[in-house]
Amino acid sequence: MGMERLGINYSAVLPEIIMALTGVALMLMEAFWPSRSKRRAGLVALTGLGIALIATLRLWGTPRQTAYAGMIIIDDFRLLFTAIVIIASVLAVFLSWNFLEEERIQPTAYFALLLFCAVGMALLTSSHDLIMVFLGIETVTISTYVLAGYRRDDLRSTEAALKYFILGAFSSAFLLYGIALVYGATRTTNLSAIQTVLNQPLNDAERALMMVGAAMLLIGFGFKVTAVPFHVWTPDVYEGAPTPVTAFLSVGPKAAGFAAFLRVSSLVFGADFDLASAGRALQSDWISAVAVMAILTMTFGNLIAITQTNIKRMLAYSSIAHAGYVLMGIVARDWQAVAFYMIAYTVMNIGAFAVVALIARRGDERVLIEDYSGLGFRQPTLSFPLTVFLISLTGIPGTAGFVGKFWLFKSAWEAGFSMLVIIAVINTVISAYYYLYVVIVMFFREAKREIEPVPLPGAFGFTLAVTVLGTFYLGLLPTRVFSYLNQAQTAIAHLIH
Amino acid sequence: MEQLFFIIFAGIALIGAVNLLLRRNPLYAALSLLTTMAALTGLYIMLKAYFIAVIQVMIYAGAIVVLFLFVIMLFNIRVVERQTDRRGYLKWLALPFAIILIGQFVYIARLFEGNPTPVGTEVGLTEMVGRKLFTAYLLPFEVTSILILAAIIGAVVLAQKE
Repeated sequence: MGMERLGINYSAVLPEIIMALTGVALMLMEAFWPSRSKRRAGLVALTGLGIALIATLRLWGTPRQTAYAGMIIIDDFRLLFTAIVIIASVLAVFLSWNFLEEERIQPTAYFALLLFCAVGMALLTSSHDLIMVFLGIETVTISTYVLAGYRRDDLRSTEAALKYFILGAFSSAFLLYGIALVYGATRTTNLSAIQTVLNQPLNDAERALMMVGAAMLLIGFGFKVTAVPFHVWTPDVYEGAPTPVTAFLSVGPKAAGFAAFLRVSSLVFGADFDLASAGRALQSDWISAVAVMAILTMTFGNLIAITQTNIKRMLAYSSIAHAGYVLMGIVARDWQAVAFYMIAYTVMNIGAFAVVALIARRGDERVLIEDYSGLGFRQPTLSFPLTVFLISLTGIPGTAGFVGKFWLFKSAWEAGFSMLVIIAVINTVISAYYYLYVVIVMFFREAKREIEPVPLPGAFGFTLAVTVLGTFYLGLLPTRVFSYLNQAQTAIAHLIH
Repeated sequence: MEQLFFIIFAGIALIGAVNLLLRRNPLYAALSLLTTMAALTGLYIMLKAYFIAVIQVMIYAGAIVVLFLFVIMLFNIRVVERQTDRRGYLKWLALPFAIILIGQFVYIARLFEGNPTPVGTEVGLTEMVGRKLFTAYLLPFEVTSILILAAIIGAVVLAQKE
């Protein structure tokens, strides 16, 4: 059996190989060259991620192709989302820098888990087979279960990890059952092959299996992208996990989950089918289910966020609401809008959590919104960036959040989901209340007790500078990114237009 | 002859399953689950699904039941029993669930009329699974190693002493 038939293509998975080897190298380093220095482990992790990012960008422009017998696909969609998740991981390394020192955590295992999680995320963005989707999701979640529980002497962190583990395992079971049923109906797990099967009529039993399988997959993906009503784990986990981990959880695994969701949705359940085919009936059901999920997710997330007094919980519900906006992009089948939104969301949310992590300090002690009172003019290096991020999360013009939302709303409107857009706009107005409330507390309320100023370590300063610049760059000069995205030819654009 | 073996294995499986429900001691319940699993292995061998038979012994009888036993031994059983008594009303849910399951079974059984056609003789062989695993499913196979590595590191991190 030749190499060609196996579809072995090392350059197609080079980013994953590099990150996996870096993770292994970190573990070996601990054995042969032990040291508790976070600097060395951090630099190794950053180098690995940097090389992986270069390997990803070097693949840019290669013609669309599948590798490993159709298991993965290389196209601009994959490369873009892989770049997003690698950048999210790099920012997470910077955010973790001080956390590791303060909590006296052994850095090698922490960074190794982060890198294995990055491998899983990158594979998720490239998967072209339901088996790969499942393995990618499992690699991501198993690493993040542990990262969420890293502060072992803290009850909240342990509780977060345990809840995340139990509900995560439960949702994985749904996903796997769905995959098994889809396989039973179509006799394949390859996404393109499933599409081919669905383009023909199916018999009764196969249609029933396909329907239940699709529903189970929707539940599984719903859990992973924190869509209502499968979101219940999110606030507890985001609140209890160490803040740098929460920041990472809310962008990296979520972007990867959306990439896989989008790929499955646009290649299989939401694709365009012939009139008499089995896929046609399934498609309209799938799209309406996702649309209802989008409405529930954004409305519920925003309404509950208003009542929160803990800023991490507030940002968790905000993260749920944003997942609702992104689901609109899946309904409209506009992957470029989703990709842009994920870039914008990664930049502004990591930035917001960086400030929260700094203010919370050791052991996540100060995480209430009222702890932020009087911060405004006393610590402008923290309050001004946070204001920028919160304004961007609201979606006020001039920031990345506005451009991202505008694009999503526009494509949903053009796809004919005007009701969805109206609800989303109302939700944006609601969200302004709780985002701007924090700004008001910071600038216009006197501090209840005297607090010593928080020092700004270098790694955080760098993260804040990058994310603030990114927020404004994407908000004021998005044309460059737009033209990149519009040039991008992918399987999805190819299938829809 | 085949029918005789089928009756023996199916009987053992059924007795194990009923015994699982009747035992109050969870340790005995877990052991009767083991009996059922072992009897099912016999049924798989009769169906010439050798690979699934081996997996059945290794995963269910080997890993999962052993895990059950560990959990039962590590927990304080008496506490568990008292808590289940308080939720007595839950047992009324058993009837609707049983009806749903029986309905599903009848529905599926009616879908298959006549004797199902046997699949090829080589399908259940370990060799075929291995062949697929190292050709079409090469990448998933390799990715699984990363997954397990991450799980091992995670377990060590969470369990190690300060």
